[in-house]
Amino acid sequence: MSDEPKTPGTSNRVLIAWLVGAAVLVAIVAVDYTVHHHAHFAADGIDVDAMPEFFPVFGLVCGFVLVLISKTLSIALKRKDTFYADD
Amino acid sequence: MQMTDLPPAAVLFAGALLLPLFKGKWRFAVALALPLLALADSWAVITEGGASFIPFMGMTLQPVHVHAATPVFATIFCIMLAGGVLFSMNDDRRVELTAAFVYAGGALGVAFAGDLVTMFVFWEVMTLGSTIIIWSGRQNDSYGAGLRYFGMHALGGVALLMGIIIVVTQRLHEGAADPLAFGHFSAMVDGWSHLGWDNAGMWLILVGMLVNAGAPPFSSWIPDAYPEGSTSGTVFLSAFTTKTAVFTLLVAFAGVEVLIYLGVYMAIYGVVYGVNANNMRRLLCYSLVNQVGFMLIGIGVGTKLSIDGAAAHAFAHIVYKALLLMATGSVLAMTGKFRLGELGGLYRTMPVTMWCLIIGGLSISGFPLTSGFTSKSMVVQAIVDESSRMAALGEPHTYLIVTWFLFQAATAGVFLDACVKLTWFIFFQKDSGLRPPDPPWNMKAAMIAFAFICILLGVFPGILYQILPYQGEAAEYAKVVYSLEHVMVMLGMLGFSGLAFFLLLPILKRGSYIHLDIDWIWRRFIPRFWKEVLLPLLQQLDNAQKAILESLPGRGMRDANLPPPIARRMGNMWAVSVPVFLIVLMLLVYLVVYFVIPTL
Repeated sequence: MSDEPKTPGTSNRVLIAWLVGAAVLVAIVAVDYTVHHHAHFAADGIDVDAMPEFFPVFGLVCGFVLVLISKTLSIALKRKDTFYADD
Repeated sequence: MQMTDLPPAAVLFAGALLLPLFKGKWRFAVALALPLLALADSWAVITEGGASFIPFMGMTLQPVHVHAATPVFATIFCIMLAGGVLFSMNDDRRVELTAAFVYAGGALGVAFAGDLVTMFVFWEVMTLGSTIIIWSGRQNDSYGAGLRYFGMHALGGVALLMGIIIVVTQRLHEGAADPLAFGHFSAMVDGWSHLGWDNAGMWLILVGMLVNAGAPPFSSWIPDAYPEGSTSGTVFLSAFTTKTAVFTLLVAFAGVEVLIYLGVYMAIYGVVYGVNANNMRRLLCYSLVNQVGFMLIGIGVGTKLSIDGAAAHAFAHIVYKALLLMATGSVLAMTGKFRLGELGGLYRTMPVTMWCLIIGGLSISGFPLTSGFTSKSMVVQAIVDESSRMAALGEPHTYLIVTWFLFQAATAGVFLDACVKLTWFIFFQKDSGLRPPDPPWNMKAAMIAFAFICILLGVFPGILYQILPYQGEAAEYAKVVYSLEHVMVMLGMLGFSGLAFFLLLPILKRGSYIHLDIDWIWRRFIPRFWKEVLLPLLQQLDNAQKAILESLPGRGMRDANLPPPIARRMGNMWAVSVPVFLIVLMLLVYLVVYFVIPTL
């Protein structure tokens, strides 16, 4: 698991976790750059997934997009959790 | 009598009958021994290739039959039951434990069912067992959730039964040698992409199975019903119904394209709703839908590798989903809280639970060295292989490319959701001030055992691969599963999806909310429509009828004992106008449907 907890400065442990997470991500980026990725759908002329660092970017973008879709839907669909109990 | 004469499901049903006779430690000793005995019996039958036949109305029942996918499902059903029993040992829930044996027996019965009737009977037995488990939950809404669950599965069961009757009747007309056979649908799959009304029986069977799989539009019964089980009840519930549905789909409908689309929907739906979930066990139920979606994609692709992938993923998923629900169940048992917003900082006092949850979370995300990686990646590879094959043949296959990207997106999403978010909100974030210890030893032992299986299958996937339906393909895949490229794809995707979680943390704060789903239609809209529109309308009709009757000449009619108002409870006398109105309404609907769909 990775990355920055949002309670800064509470202890050294938080800082260490933050640094370890960042180091892991940097290491992933560095190693990924050296790995040859082949295009999964080369026969169809799609080679975007063979680009360096495609999957880290894809993971980040998907994380963002899915959370934003979810939160957008939430605006319309959110109800108090006693919604059905009120019947 | 030889071991192979004993149907494995019978061992568990016998257990359900015997367990109430024992008390205390003896009961749990017996409860732990029986799944292991059923496992031994299953493998004796599988090794012998055992098949028993019973004459039935001029046809043949095959209550014990070994399908290609039977070994993997029978094995995990037995392991799961044993793990669930161990987890539940400290909580004396006699009815729930007995129901769990009935439930698991039904699932094991389906895994060995060689004919449609046997399959259906065990299918319904599962519904009964699982409903009782939900009712045993003693949560706030256990009773209501159990009723809705039962209604949903009764509906699916009716579709399944109608489908079976139509298919068997058709087969009898065609003079089929074995009209009840279960597992022969694949021969008819070629026509599935343009399935017409003449295949209505098959459609109904498919619908019946899909209801149990949690496919749209009926995905919501899983997050509705399962969180209402007890800590151990939800663990049992997560394992059998959906995975038995996956098994039957795998046997009967491999290669049916519509399953791919349904699977993609489920994979995305599970993540989108999971991100918003505040109840930790409901979040896991959403991710359950997400994972069954992956399995449906594997079944829909229909190649040997994808079928292996779907079966392997079902096996792996039962283990890590049970592990996740055990860990969250432990948190619930030790704190009494289930909302993520009320938890936090538990890493201090529940380290075993935390690490087990992390291992389960990594497994569900397909992190390297866990079971999810070695099972899910088979389906991913199968999609690529099938796309290449179709490209070479010049067949349309864009949907497979889109499926692959969405599959990967959902994988990134489930890591964010069921691993990072769950771990963060339960064990870290703000300090909730709660200091509960890890749960009792049996719960820890069950969690550690299942966490061990997650890692074992991740490090030594061959153990699972050798019991898959197509072992040759699986063995070939085992050579490339840990290629550096595979590993980096997952690490890159998951690592940065986790980063997205922390960057978006300010908008992910939890409140006490639920999010409306399609079940709003039958939980809120229909009851309100009845109460506020239809009922007043019928009351008006009732009044009008009375007025007409009273205006008619003749004392006899006026003095007739008229029925009481319609608003009374069901069971009282109702005015004739109500059924007449409903019948006319049905005839009208039928007439409209008849003209709109002339092929009916």
